Amino acid sequence: MGKIIAVHSYKGGTGKTLMSVNLATTFAKQGKKVVLFDLDFRAPSLFSILNMPKAECWLNDYLNGTCDINQVLVDMSDKIPGNGKFLVGLASPATEAIRDMSAKDRKWEMRALGRLLSLRNSILNEKGFDYIIFDTSPGLQYSSINAIVTADFVIVATTGDRSDVDGTRRMLRELYNLFEKKTGLVINKVLDGSSLSKRQEMTKKVREIYQVPLLGLVPCFCDILRAEGGLIFCTDKPDHPFTKILGEMTQKIERNEVS
Amino acid sequence: MLFSFFASEVTGDGCSDDSYYYVVRLNKPALPILYTRKTLTRGKNVNKEEAFGRKPLTVLEKIRENLERLNDKMEVMIELQKTGRKDITQPLADTPLDVMTLLSMPDHLRKTAMTICRCGRATAEEISEQTSRARAVESAYLNQLVIMGYLKKERKGRKAYFYADRETQG
Repeated sequence: MGKIIAVHSYKGGTGKTLMSVNLATTFAKQGKKVVLFDLDFRAPSLFSILNMPKAECWLNDYLNGTCDINQVLVDMSDKIPGNGKFLVGLASPATEAIRDMSAKDRKWEMRALGRLLSLRNSILNEKGFDYIIFDTSPGLQYSSINAIVTADFVIVATTGDRSDVDGTRRMLRELYNLFEKKTGLVINKVLDGSSLSKRQEMTKKVREIYQVPLLGLVPCFCDILRAEGGLIFCTDKPDHPFTKILGEMTQKIERNEVS
Repeated sequence: MLFSFFASEVTGDGCSDDSYYYVVRLNKPALPILYTRKTLTRGKNVNKEEAFGRKPLTVLEKIRENLERLNDKMEVMIELQKTGRKDITQPLADTPLDVMTLLSMPDHLRKTAMTICRCGRATAEEISEQTSRARAVESAYLNQLVIMGYLKKERKGRKAYFYADRETQG
């Protein structure tokens, strides 16, 4: 049976979208059937990162109940080597759509939760997909919490920034624990993250501070900054250390090693 | 009030509330006795000739359904007595079961509410299989969520289904 994964963080700029795209493409490269959704309605970015053609409908339309999920999905499998499937559902980048999404009331959010939950049946059960990945907004946004509630597993991206550490710790305790979610932490932009001693030190620190399993440590790679969001590392740079780290993360998720 | 209405409907005599409680908690074994009493004392309601035909079965089914409904209500009342009605903070109207509401719920109700969100529509038995808690406990929590206006309840035969009515709310 397929899995729903949400990629979330307390603060912005922690690398959620980079991780979501590369995680999805890594799974697809391994032959898996994956759907990636942009649930960051306040700052949609998959549209430009993946340099995609305009979709027939946006994810906003699906959540508004004005279209079917099949009209939202764009098949990007031809961008991925191998036999895997890679489909994407985009959030509308139009200013009007962003404003509209931020003005939704609780009843709309409740219906949106129902529609997200129904993706398990329509995509994982009926179409036989292996993974749905949600790229979410940072912090305690309605759309992000809807994604967390829907997900089987949540990846929390964080950095060494003190305010991020405090906020993430609080969020894990006051949000994730309440929903009893399986969570894995990814520390991004780690200085000297390639050295073994640093990795051991960080692993110990994560257990003490966050009390959740560590899914991965991503060193601060200048190549990622240089790419300016124009590369999908897992397909464009298959030998890059970042691609290898993502590969290890997918193995851990596959083997259910993170609980 | 509920007990006295039920008492006149089912047994037709003037037992104390405690005895009804006893009967209801052991409703299944007590059914034939209730029926016999009703047949004997309320000959007008149930024809003696029909006593061995189909009608008694229908009546028994009806009694069983009533007993199950009463059981559900009593479980809620027992639960409310335990928690001192602390959980009921909302008016008894349709209230959206959104994620912020889930966050503000006490832990025991949140677990049930989240499971029903995932299942869509389920019986107390199905929810209890997911939460690994007793069916009676889940039944009490589900009924409590119905009273709070977060869930809807619908009976189909002997089964009671619970669901969050997302389409009609709002």
